Amino acid sequence: MRACTCRICSPVERQLINASSSCELIRMNESKKEKEVQDLDPKLWVDQYGDYLYAFALTRLVDRNAAEDVVQETFVSALHSMKNFRGHSSEKTWLTSILKHKILDHFRKKSREEKHHFETVGDNIRQLFDGKGHWKEGPEKWKTSPKKLFEQKEFLKTLYACLEELSRRVAKAFVLREIDGLSTEEICKVLDISATNCWVMLYRARTLLRQCLELNWFEISPGGAS
Amino acid sequence: MHHWMFNCHEVTRLVSESLDRKLPLYQRMGIRMHLLMCKFCSRYRKQLLLMKEILTRYNESDRPKDIFEPLSEEARKRMKHLLSHLEGHNHVH
Repeated sequence: MRACTCRICSPVERQLINASSSCELIRMNESKKEKEVQDLDPKLWVDQYGDYLYAFALTRLVDRNAAEDVVQETFVSALHSMKNFRGHSSEKTWLTSILKHKILDHFRKKSREEKHHFETVGDNIRQLFDGKGHWKEGPEKWKTSPKKLFEQKEFLKTLYACLEELSRRVAKAFVLREIDGLSTEEICKVLDISATNCWVMLYRARTLLRQCLELNWFEISPGGAS
Repeated sequence: MHHWMFNCHEVTRLVSESLDRKLPLYQRMGIRMHLLMCKFCSRYRKQLLLMKEILTRYNESDRPKDIFEPLSEEARKRMKHLLSHLEGHNHVH
């Protein structure tokens, strides 16, 4: 396995990145195509990429203040490591790869701080079932097709609002798994939790998100026959 | 009605877990038996798969724009200020 050569990666990140081979900085260095070296212009960063990076961070952190913070940290880091930019990828890709590192850093830091609060993540799931473990009120049939849905901005807004409702920690595991496609092992490392905890978090996240979407978005087909 | 050996609570947990790792054979059999008889858990499974499919595509490249509000004017100003300050600093050294 290759080690990541960029200067921003911590040892844990290197492993993660090797596993998912997603570090733009590595690809940049390995790229054989000699493109014209692009000049960087930090003065334009905020206007050109600010909104894009903010949306990228917000999708993953589900927290406006935290998203602003990581975007700012990204700009600062980028400024300090401008020497490392070799112009093989676009300025936007380069900034995004730095942002990804910052987001993982944020997750790691938070999960250390929140470690002791894990037990307070309420077990709302149990309330969905009766004493024998049967559904009290089972899932309704959804009238929908994913393709159509995806084109609907409103749906994504609902989805985002539902993610916001999920407890932070649970949402984090979920976002890393479903949006960034990390494996359970990788999530365990980032959030510093056991695999079992991770599966439980993902179960809670999926079940609560399903419920939230059903309440707030999906048209329920009449009769409810499956 | 007996739902094999898992109840709905357990089956939903296992259905979710099956998206993250390969379950042992007896659990897969148990889920399958249960799903044959339980329309609620079948829906749960279907809907989880649908959510996964939607979320897999929920990334920057094909996500419609303007879902999120832009960076606030205040944050924008603060970052610009910080950047120009640091940049000046960089040049000095």
